[in-house]
Amino acid sequence: MSSKVVLKGKGKSTKGSKPSVDNSTSKLFKEWSTWTIKKAKVITHYGFIPLIIVIGMNSDPKPSISQLLSPV
Amino acid sequence: MAALVPPPVSPAAAEAIKPEKVDYMDLPTPIPYEEIHREALMSLKPEHFEGMRVDFTKGLNQRFSLSHSIIMGPTEIPSQSAETIKIPTAHYEFGANFIDPKLMLFGRVLTDGRVNARVKCDLSENLSMKANAQLTSEPHMSHGMVNFDYKGTDYRAQFQLGNGALLGASYIQSVTPNLSLGGEVFWAGQHRKSGLGYAARYNTDKMVAAGQVASTGMVALSYVQKVSEKVSLASDLMYNYMSRDVTASFGYDYILRQCRLRGKIDSNGCTSAFLEERLNMGLNFILSAEIDHMKKDYKFGFGLTVGE
Repeated sequence: MSSKVVLKGKGKSTKGSKPSVDNSTSKLFKEWSTWTIKKAKVITHYGFIPLIIVIGMNSDPKPSISQLLSPV
Repeated sequence: MAALVPPPVSPAAAEAIKPEKVDYMDLPTPIPYEEIHREALMSLKPEHFEGMRVDFTKGLNQRFSLSHSIIMGPTEIPSQSAETIKIPTAHYEFGANFIDPKLMLFGRVLTDGRVNARVKCDLSENLSMKANAQLTSEPHMSHGMVNFDYKGTDYRAQFQLGNGALLGASYIQSVTPNLSLGGEVFWAGQHRKSGLGYAARYNTDKMVAAGQVASTGMVALSYVQKVSEKVSLASDLMYNYMSRDVTASFGYDYILRQCRLRGKIDSNGCTSAFLEERLNMGLNFILSAEIDHMKKDYKFGFGLTVGE
């Protein structure tokens, strides 16, 4: 019984490998773009406000760090 | 002798009476499509809030500023039943703004981790890009949208791209110095919906009338009359022909030296008012009230804005 299940599983895997060669590039592209969008979202979530602060501190006239941190 | 000399007032009067010849090749640039109801929205839909709000903006530079806000009050959560459910919340919001003629960056972060980001960048003299994102830590709850705007001599075209496969395009053209017509088309991939819309706007120095029709069933008409330098009156009609839902509202906007008062009354039995009073240079006091008699929802808010 168990050997039959194993054979069926193997058969599925061999069938699946042939058409995957054709659309592997589109699958790769989709996976890669999803990965980039996820990473971009995390980067924007944590890095956007620090980016604004860095750009602002480098614009002239340059404000000082004490001005950034003081509450007044 | 006096009778022969024509009165000096008549040449000027004659010029004013005679309409100026319209140069159709030199029409003014129309306002952007999404701002077609701008005057009506400014008068009729101020940012009402409930609870207390204190905003402190500290400018470090002419272009760079930080802002700290404290907001305490009940927030509505969407509920299935007809009652409104409110939960008391308190947030601290930190923000940074960088405003340059060519690049504008605006970021806000709340205590629960939500980030609200806006970028506006002029890629060239006529082409500009705007991006807007609300990011949360929860998966699938973040939204982002990018717009590319092209401004021509008497037209504007815009292309929009959003998450969830949202695509949109709009075009608006000045037809006469006072009239501009435009259209838009959008496609929402996630909900498999597409729509088409048209808009028209007629404005003179004293009044603005705008109308918008969309294939999603929405018809919006608005009319704003500037009664004087300090007073303008606005009215608005929203009709959804699919769900047969109509809302009409009428409001006023007084812009006085020390304060700005806006109020409106609605056909849904909702009256609201919003007052911004300038107590001193850089110190503004805000009062907001919204009374909904039908839903029995009463919202009152007060706040202080410190800084420019």
